[in-house]
Order: sequence, then structure tokens, then C-alpha cells
Amino acid sequence: MNRKNLLAAAVAAAMGTAWLPVMAQEAASAAGTLGTTGIDRARLTSGTQFNPQISVILDGVYYGASREVEGPAGFGDGHDHGHGHGHDHAHGLEEGFNLRETEITMSASIDNYLDGVVTLALEGSSGIEVEEAYLLTRALPAGLQIKAGRFLSDIGYINRQHPHDWLFVDRPLVSELLFGDHGLQDNGLQVSWLAPLPFFTRVGVEVLQGEEGIANYIGEGPLKEKSGPRLVTGFAKVSPNLGFNHAAQFGLSGGYADAFQQQEVHSSGRSENIDGRSWFAGVDAIYKYDAGGTYGHRNWVLQGEYYFREVDADYRNIDQADVLLDQFASRSRQDGLYVQAVYGFAPRWNAGLRAEALGLTNKSLETNSNRSNFESFDASYRYAAQVSFAPTEFSRLRLQVNLNDYAHDDGDHAHDAWEVMLQYSVSLGSHGAHQF
Amino acid sequence: MLRTLTLLTLLALSPLASALNVVATTTNMAMLSAAVGGDDVSVTVLAPPDRDTHYLELRPNMMVSLRRADLLVSVGAELEVGWLPPAIQGTGNRRLNPGQRGYFEAAAQVELIDQVPDADRSMGDVHPMGNPHVYMDPLRMAQVGHALAARMGQIAPEHADRFSANAQAFAERMDRLVARMTEQLRASTDAPPGVLLYHKDADYLMRLLEVPVLGYLEPVPGVPPTGRHLNALVSELKGREGVMIANPWQSRRGPDFIGRELGFPVHVLPTNVPVDGDVADYEALLMQWVKAAAP
Repeated sequence: MNRKNLLAAAVAAAMGTAWLPVMAQEAASAAGTLGTTGIDRARLTSGTQFNPQISVILDGVYYGASREVEGPAGFGDGHDHGHGHGHDHAHGLEEGFNLRETEITMSASIDNYLDGVVTLALEGSSGIEVEEAYLLTRALPAGLQIKAGRFLSDIGYINRQHPHDWLFVDRPLVSELLFGDHGLQDNGLQVSWLAPLPFFTRVGVEVLQGEEGIANYIGEGPLKEKSGPRLVTGFAKVSPNLGFNHAAQFGLSGGYADAFQQQEVHSSGRSENIDGRSWFAGVDAIYKYDAGGTYGHRNWVLQGEYYFREVDADYRNIDQADVLLDQFASRSRQDGLYVQAVYGFAPRWNAGLRAEALGLTNKSLETNSNRSNFESFDASYRYAAQVSFAPTEFSRLRLQVNLNDYAHDDGDHAHDAWEVMLQYSVSLGSHGAHQF
Repeated sequence: MLRTLTLLTLLALSPLASALNVVATTTNMAMLSAAVGGDDVSVTVLAPPDRDTHYLELRPNMMVSLRRADLLVSVGAELEVGWLPPAIQGTGNRRLNPGQRGYFEAAAQVELIDQVPDADRSMGDVHPMGNPHVYMDPLRMAQVGHALAARMGQIAPEHADRFSANAQAFAERMDRLVARMTEQLRASTDAPPGVLLYHKDADYLMRLLEVPVLGYLEPVPGVPPTGRHLNALVSELKGREGVMIANPWQSRRGPDFIGRELGFPVHVLPTNVPVDGDVADYEALLMQWVKAAAP
């Protein structure tokens, strides 16, 4: 909570300084007229001249579930640890009406060398989070680009997408539970290179601070302090040239975190500590077919990703008097995948199916009953179907049904749950553009 | 190893080493670039002619073309806003940044009609700076051609004279084309009955030909025809003569309904020349429109 407040304060401060010149420009540009001819102008744009282009995404979800949804076994995130007090997992959605995430994006060229992008997320009505705030070079030679600041990592495919770019209401389990609630989103530096080849080939390396998710860091108490940056990732994307109608992209990504730490403090004062290192690797593939119809009619999007994560960790169970009760060193190995297909069955309408598996290998970070090793669990599965209707480019309604077939901590699968979600997602402001 | 790498790099760059590398967003812009650039340019096109440029999706290989481009020729006025900015940004080719010599918008070179300074999204997907479909006006294309020749001349001064001569030749051809189009129109009718369009993409041409535009099937730009809007058009135009013209990527249901209800002949015509199409293709395309508009 404290951290959120700090963030909010930082954002407020940053906005305060940012708005002053913006307001001055607004006054100046109001005097100009838009009605003059475009002759000799470099570019015609509806953006208010030097102000950043601003767009706001509103996203709300009505959520219902056939029973209380507990998280897939072995991915407790240090919260429920098999004690049965299942933490409220269902993507943070409560039954009933949810205001999910109000996303404000401001982007502009800073000068002829740099672009700047800021995306703030107002989470429900609780607080402000800086989703992304980065600088991107646009004048480096030889196809090189540097991104610096806070950004969504370019690993895989869905990781760099914001929720309104998704083809389903919710984030795939593997992304949420291996990489974090927002995917891999961190502070750092990215260097990427678009190779001078006849087909699209982009490779990149990221050096990130390593704070959450795949590189969770605590650095206090019995958990060793380690200076950042603690996470290094790399990615490669290749797209064969398939002409105007087809586009495919295949990616490889991986990373190594110098620190992976988790801590659970029980009410008695006893703490369970996991301290180690992690690495991950994954593959992703995406195929899009542009049928040439109106408003996405007869278009296809096929997409799938797989990730494997290993954590090499020391486990220590320490009581309130700092006495070491249990200790072991072991390796947790977990993975997950999703595949999905979306088809534009009518102009402005699409429908999609998604299948997910989580923990095909599922040696978790939870201990077995005699605290001598990490416990293995069964795999969990989830199936989703969605129908979307986009009245215009700027608005969308989506209905999604999930069937959860999650493994439970006690080893059975008899906790199937249906979930239904009705979502609206609209954009205000400047015309958005979409990455591949 | 190093030699192989060098060879590979040379191989990748060689076919285009001598000529000015132009990337055009649409086939019409490619046609103009080739007409103005002649043998001194090599032109690649990003968008196929048979679909709506506005709704195109970014393909990674667009960036391959843009990476080695010296000049990007777009229609502009935010027609390509949904995919071109991220394509340029993802390329990191500094020559193409808006404001640089390598970034060229056709719509920024001419006067635009239908400017809507007080635009609001409730008016649909309007372009506040004006109607971007300037490529349907041969005279504006001629103006764009002159501006493009000047731009190409800045990038490759050694060919500047040839570019400017080519642009002049193109402009003269467009003048003759307009004369031919007018002649064709007058030969078939004294007062063309007017056209009903699907989208506001032929307004420049109809204005040039002095053919009235009776209306649009889209209730507001970017929103497909609704039953209510079609019925309103039918009751408004009942008893009048006219012609319905739609584009190949648009649904036939609305145009066919109009054809049935109002007895208008229905034409489905392209707005872009085929891939690698030349000036003759462009002339033929516009003549098709003239013939359709003057039954």
C-alpha cells in the first residue's frame, strides 16, 4: 500500500511539472487555425500540435462464477500455500460489476532523437500505477533501437500488449502466474536490432531491475540483499515474408534472474523463505490472415506461447525466535502454455477459442508435508470462448466464458468452475495504432 | 565468417544500392513515385490495392521495407494512422521520421476538402484535417507529383532535373486525362444524375467532374450502413435517378439494397491501381469511374 502511495505521489509530481509547459502550448496553439491548407507542412495530424497525443482506455467487466475460483495448484504465489484459505485469484475480478483498468497513454516525440511514452493505469478506483514510462530512440543507425525506463518486456508475444489489445478478456494463466499480474513489466534498458535481412528479424537484450513475478525480490530479513539489475532477458523474432494477406511471426525468448525470493510470514511470526535464482525460456508463434473483407470479416488470428521456468532455491523455515526449523535446497520447475484462434465471422464481429495448460511440469515452490522438498502438483487447464462486437474502431463489447479445470492442492480436480465475463473496452482521444 | 557476413549483407542491400529506395503506402502512391522517379527509384508498396487502407494491420515485413527506405510516400492526413506510425517507429530508420526529408504525405501538399476543425468522434471516424482521399483527384495528384519531385531532388540532387521533368510530364498527362474525362461525361449526358457512394473516398473526383454526390451508405464515416440509414436514403432519393458506386472490399448488401429499392445501377470499382500499376492503369481506373458516373 505504501509503495502505491509513493508511486501515486511520484506520478502526481511528474504530471505537475509536465503539465505546465503543455498548458502554455495549449494557449499558444489555440491562436493558430486548423483550417489553413496543408501546403508545405510536413505532416497533417489532429493531435494538438506539440501536446502529447493522449488516449484513454476505459475497461469494465461484469464477472460471474459458478463457484469460488481457487488458483491452480502449485502457483499460489506465496499466498495460500496449501492451507486452503484460497487467495482471491480470479484475475482480481469480483463477482458483479468491476471497473478494471482505466489506462491513460500519452506519447510524443521529445526531439528528433527520442520518443516518449507514458501509460498510467488507474486500477479500479484504488490507485495509480505507472504501467510504462519509457524513452525510445528513433535516430540510431543500423537498425538499432534503445528503450529505457519502465516498459513491458518484448519477450514472447502477449507480454508487451496492453489489456485492450488482447483478443480475450483475461491474461493467459502462464503469463499471469509465471511473469506477474501485469506480465513482465519492469524498469530497465532494452537494446534491439532489426537485422538487414530480406525478411523481418529482430533480436534484443533487456537488462531489468528484477522486482516482481519471474524475478521476485525482497532483499530483507533472512533473504539476501542483492543490488540490481537482477534480471537479463533476450528475445528473437522472425517473420517470413508471406505477401499482403498473411503474416506470421515466430519468437524465442529467455531470461535469467540473479535473485528469486519469496517469503511468507505466518501469524505466529514463523517465516518461510525461498531464496535463489531463476531462469526461463519460451517460444511463441502468431499467424494472422487478412481476408480483405470489411471490418475484420473472415480474418484469422492464431496465436500460441509456451514458457518453462526453473527456480534453483534454498528453502528455510524460521520461527519467531530466529531458530532454523527446516532447510533444504531444491529446484522448482514449472511451465505453461496457451493456444488460441480468433475468426472474424461477420463484419465487426469475431469469435475465439482458447485452451490453456499450466503446470505440465509442476514442481512448485510450495513445500511437501515434512518440509524436505518442494511439492509436485497436477496440471491445471482452462478453456475459454469469446464473442466480440466492435461497433467502431473505438469501442468493443466482449462476452467470454471460461471453464476452469484446475488441479487442487489436495490433489483432486473436482473443483471445476465456470466463469462468465461481459466486457466493454473503449478508447477516447487520439486514434490508436496497433503493433503486430 | 566475416567474409560470409559481409557477403550476406551486400546481398541483402545490393539490388537497391544504386537507386533511390522509395516505399509507398498504397499502390496509387507507388504509381506516382514510379512516374516521378522513373528509372532512378525503386518502389516497394506496403498496402494491397483491394482493401481499405485505413483498416490495414501492421505486418512485420513492412518494417523490412522501411528499414532500407530513403523516402516514404504516404497518402497522409491520418489515413494510415492505424499502422504506419508503429511501423516507422519499429523500424528506427531516422530518415523516415515525420519532419525529415524521407517522410512525405501527399495530403500535406495540396488543399483538402471537408476540413472539420471541430470534429468529434460522434461524427464517426472523421479526419479533422480534411478528406485524405486526394489520390482520386488527378489534378491534385499532379500537384503532389511536383512536390514529390522536389523532395526526391533534395534526397538525390544528381537526378533532380529528371524528377522534375517526369513530374511535369505526369502533370500534362493528368491535364489531358481531365479533358478526356470531361469529354466522356458530356458525351453521355448533359447533367449527370449523381452518385451514391459507400464512403467519402471519391468526393474529390466527383467535385472535379461536377457530378453531385447524393449521399453515402455509411451513416457516419467508418460505420457500416444501418437499416435505418439505408431506409432514410431510399425515402429521400425515391424517384430520382442515380448511380451506386462501392469499393471491392465493402459488403455488397447495402449497395444491392439500394440497387433494388431505387433502381440505381450498382458499380463496384477499385480506388487503387493494381500492384506495379502505371500511369496508364491510373488513367483507366479513373475513366472507369467516369463511365460509371455518366450512364
